[in-house]
Amino acid sequence: MNVIVIGLSHHSSPVELRERFAFAESKIPDALKSLRESGVADEAVILSTCNRVEIYAATALEPAQAFLELKEFLKTVHAFENPLGEEIYTLAEPQSLQHLFKVACGLDSMVLGETEILGQLKDAYKLAHQHKHTGARLNKIFQRAFNVAKHIRTETNIQRGSVSVASVAVELAEKIFSSLAEREVLVIGAGETSEKVARALLSRGAKSIIVANRSHERAQVLAKEFGGRAVQFDDWAAEFEKIDIAISSTSAPHHILDRAKLDPLMKLRKNRPLLLIDIAVPRDIATEVNFLENVYLYDIDDLQSIADDYLKQRKEEIVRCEKIIAEKVEALFKSSGFQPQISTDGQRLKPVQANL
Amino acid sequence: MTWFTDRHFFLLAVIFYGLSSAYSVFLWRKGFRKDDRVNYFLLLAAFALHTTAIFLRGFNLKQCPVNNLYEATVFIAWTIVAAYLVIGISHRLRFLGAFASHVLFFMGVFALMPQLDPPHAAQPDFSNGLISLHATLILLSIGAFGLSAVAALMFLTEEHDLKFHKLRAIFSLLPPIQRLERVMNGLLLCGIVLLTTGLAFSPWLLKQKYGVWFKNDPLLDYSIFIWAFYLALLIARWKFGQGGRRFAWSTVGSFVFIMLTFWGFLLLSPIHHP
Repeated sequence: MNVIVIGLSHHSSPVELRERFAFAESKIPDALKSLRESGVADEAVILSTCNRVEIYAATALEPAQAFLELKEFLKTVHAFENPLGEEIYTLAEPQSLQHLFKVACGLDSMVLGETEILGQLKDAYKLAHQHKHTGARLNKIFQRAFNVAKHIRTETNIQRGSVSVASVAVELAEKIFSSLAEREVLVIGAGETSEKVARALLSRGAKSIIVANRSHERAQVLAKEFGGRAVQFDDWAAEFEKIDIAISSTSAPHHILDRAKLDPLMKLRKNRPLLLIDIAVPRDIATEVNFLENVYLYDIDDLQSIADDYLKQRKEEIVRCEKIIAEKVEALFKSSGFQPQISTDGQRLKPVQANL
Repeated sequence: MTWFTDRHFFLLAVIFYGLSSAYSVFLWRKGFRKDDRVNYFLLLAAFALHTTAIFLRGFNLKQCPVNNLYEATVFIAWTIVAAYLVIGISHRLRFLGAFASHVLFFMGVFALMPQLDPPHAAQPDFSNGLISLHATLILLSIGAFGLSAVAALMFLTEEHDLKFHKLRAIFSLLPPIQRLERVMNGLLLCGIVLLTTGLAFSPWLLKQKYGVWFKNDPLLDYSIFIWAFYLALLIARWKFGQGGRRFAWSTVGSFVFIMLTFWGFLLLSPIHHP
């Protein structure tokens, strides 16, 4: 049985493509079921975040064959008909395990060392586990991945400094506004990341938080937690006259804010600066709003360049972390029934790139 | 070497300001993150020449050399570069030279206009304090408009970087754009108050010299136009929320217009050059 991974991430594909392949959380159990029923995987976990869509599978098939079938599965589920090239990556053991450990440690994240991905990975695993789509193989490597992430966090400086999406958003806000003390923040869609961004802004002195969510109850809970107020989801546009920062992370399949809608709202605001942070995939805000004066729009990909700089600064830490991960993967092979896939000439298989 | 006067030293200083100004364009393209010693030393060299020019003029006059528009402009520019050189000791703030150099170069070119530096009498004449006050206030208003233009340039740079998601927007040492906008606004207000006060003396000066309260004059008309333009700019901002990029461009554009045209209108004015 080989543990393999196939997926798209911010390294390999733009947000326009990733949003096409994103799985809604509610659809994941069915997708896993159909994946296992097809015989491609005996065990599987689907990780779908704004930065990556990955399928981790334990399969009895040859990796090259499994990759071809997994690719077809992805294309079929998302009704994607265009050809795919290097946008999709495929890895077999031991690189697949190293990749999982790296993902868990935040080493593969857009914002290096961020911890949000670990929570997302745990949620993805929990979902698969609850629906009984994992077994001994994936259970073991995922538990090991979580342990490695904890070890790396405590033993290295990979998480030092502001490396999360939330911190980057705060930095941007501080480059636009003289002070965050008088700033009002609107959260559209009460997702985990938007919640963190709002919390980070509050911790830096933001005046108040307004929450609009499709589930008004959830909005009220979050607003109460922030000491802010909740508004009906359909009424969020009415708040634009007062607010200074909007964080959008709805699961809407189309843009909820475009230039035609924002233009008159900006006039009501007397052209005060407006920071828009669109962390939704698919994106909530049309890119052309950035052409409006005093509007600053950042989507999830725009944060990439910031992450790159952090990457440069932490190069030494990456080397240390990768060394630890390599040791942990080696130890995993030695300590259990895991055997790296050995080719006929006795060499470990290189990562298998299927002819996609 | 008697032919080499204080004005020649100042001309050399202006050449160095020009070199610094040209070099600053490259600094802008790089982003202002790293402190730049080349620019600092160019301005330091200019400062040495500039100081020599001021001292020579002072020794020649045997008193503080601030008696006409040339000397006043030279003195204001000297205080700006001196302040920068002190601030620039801190490498974190050395990037300000990229903005200061343009202003200093403009002020230098402006000051070198021959008509701004008429030959002195044996002793400077301070008999009419009202004229001095009138000239000083208008000069200070131009200085305020100039500083506002510098803030506007910073705003435009930062705003461009934020709009186009340049990394240097986060890592540059420029203040937040909202603060820059407030500084622009405050300096414009300061400038217009000074200009209004300076212009308010004009009727009394005309009455003293020509016996009339108003006289048609190119520089007077020009000054009223400049005053009205800046007032309109501020009203557009306060009343209609005009701000951001357009406000900044208007601030920069109007100051460049003043720098390019003020001396011309001064030369055309029979009141100021009878």
